[in-house]
Amino acid sequence: MKKFRLYFEEQNRGPLTQLWQQFQRQHAAVLGLVMFSFFLLLTIFAPLLTPHNPYLQNPDLLLLAPSWSDQGLVQYPFGTDDLGRDLMSRLMKGATYTFGIALVTVIGSLLMGLALGAMAGMSKGVKSSIFNHVLDLALTIPSLLLAIIIVAVLGPGLWNTTWAIMLALLPQFVHGIRNAIQDTLKQDYVAAYRLDGASNWQVLRYAVLPNIWEHLTVMATMALSTAILDIAALGFLGLGAQAPTSEWGVMIADALDLIYLAPWAIALPGILVFASVLSVNLVGDGLRTAMKKRREN
Amino acid sequence: MMLHYFLRRAFLIGFVFVALTVLAFSLSYLFPGDVLTNVSGLSSIQPEQQQNLIQYYALDQSLLQQYIAYLNRILDGEWGLSFSSQQPVLSEIIAVFPATLELASYALLLSFVLGIPLGLFAAVKADSFLGKLISAITLVAYSIPIFWWALLLIMLFSLTLGVLPTAGRINVLFDIPTTTGFMLPDIWLSDIAYKAEATQDALRHLLLPAVVLATYPTTVMIRFTRDSMLAVLEQSYIKTARAKGLSRAQVLYHHGLRNALLPVIRQIGLQFSTLITLAMITEVIFSWPGIGQWLLDSIYQRNYPAIQGGLLVVSCLVIVVNMLTEILHTLFNPLARKA
Repeated sequence: MKKFRLYFEEQNRGPLTQLWQQFQRQHAAVLGLVMFSFFLLLTIFAPLLTPHNPYLQNPDLLLLAPSWSDQGLVQYPFGTDDLGRDLMSRLMKGATYTFGIALVTVIGSLLMGLALGAMAGMSKGVKSSIFNHVLDLALTIPSLLLAIIIVAVLGPGLWNTTWAIMLALLPQFVHGIRNAIQDTLKQDYVAAYRLDGASNWQVLRYAVLPNIWEHLTVMATMALSTAILDIAALGFLGLGAQAPTSEWGVMIADALDLIYLAPWAIALPGILVFASVLSVNLVGDGLRTAMKKRREN
Repeated sequence: MMLHYFLRRAFLIGFVFVALTVLAFSLSYLFPGDVLTNVSGLSSIQPEQQQNLIQYYALDQSLLQQYIAYLNRILDGEWGLSFSSQQPVLSEIIAVFPATLELASYALLLSFVLGIPLGLFAAVKADSFLGKLISAITLVAYSIPIFWWALLLIMLFSLTLGVLPTAGRINVLFDIPTTTGFMLPDIWLSDIAYKAEATQDALRHLLLPAVVLATYPTTVMIRFTRDSMLAVLEQSYIKTARAKGLSRAQVLYHHGLRNALLPVIRQIGLQFSTLITLAMITEVIFSWPGIGQWLLDSIYQRNYPAIQGGLLVVSCLVIVVNMLTEILHTLFNPLARKA
């Protein structure tokens, strides 16, 4: 950027660039983005990066202390668990489960919500009214309770949890997308586009969607933080991923018996859940603020 | 106007209840296992009994008639038997439900008492260091997984410092007769000699779970009050009030606060379902004998009649609270009545 502006120039940058400029000014949000990218990279490359096999049990090194204590080994930075598995490798692999599966559920739920929300948003009258009532019902049932019921029907397990959380997140997506579409449909440019002879599909594709995607992103970040917390909570309760899987919530539940002996085995997975949720929330908050500021300018 | 509004609400709530019971009813078919076992909750059914039971539960008739029979049973209070204890589900729910309500209401109260003033402060002094600090702490607390937070507090206060108990509602040495099911009123209503000690012990047991459970609603309350107050402070009627010469405190109280708290009322209803979800996790960690722990135990034991009943009760509670806060919101805010 030029420091001095000699001439009056109109700045007409694209909406994305403007958004990025506003986003960049918030240091907390940028920090969140860095953390988010870190978790994303960890999710994708964890199998290549883990120093040890996360499931390999080493009977000679049970409950090794972290390397910062005197009894620790530098090869095992966070020590080992009660079966002699390297904690750091397990934590890294856990990103794939907790963070990665949360991402998958949110993307799946977003796509389903987009389809249903578009149908609900574009329809009118009785159909839309019935849809609203069903949504109201689905929104009143707590997401975790809904997930628990789905798990009770399907049986516990990581994939069933994925489905359960996807379905539990769906109502808020449909609700939010429907409202966003209906707000956009009231705009004059949509009316103008309709007068040009655009069909429903064209209105949705070229007039509505480009104007709500920011809103969608913010919704997705909120849903992502819920999804991470729910996956970890279900894992912790024993309803989600099952024991050998190194999902962070499961790891906390596993380490509960060792709360006196190895408190770090509870603290570390928790810190990772916390940090990943925090990064998502920071990015979400930053995006929302950036959007608001861009609108004001 | 208001009558019309209430009628619409009543219709909506009726519809939601019907849909909810349909869902609960269909669960007997969706759950694995024999439908008759799932409906009745009897673990062993004799062959000669079977025909009677099928007739009693109307299983030989059409689905619609089965559903109507199910509704009748729900209204009569016959919710089937729990697989694990062979006791009526409804009486078990009545026994555990007050504990959850007690915990949730204290947490909600705590979140009001802390959240609203802090949120207002963070909005009024948005640019000061303290205001920013409150916002930062809120964001951090908002991201903490509740079960981990509970474990951290247990590790600190119970295991390391040893000042607070880790589990239960009260020390088992105290024998408190159950009248209402709520611990503190029960203590005060009972005629025992050690009331003061029992109250103190119950409060010590309550402190950690209530703080853990209140964390999330408090942060939501702070964030929401802050955003709502900031939005109100930008309105032109605030400028008008300032221009009329009212003092800052007068403007904040008469024009700011009243308008800012309106959406907050509504938020309580929306957050209530999250609160119940979190209460379930909190109960499991602190062995709090409420409906959350009972429901999760039912899931581990594949106790389908209990899951069905628990779903119905918890969802009804959430719907009723939602509806109440919405009606309150409408009563306070004439603008909302049109919608």
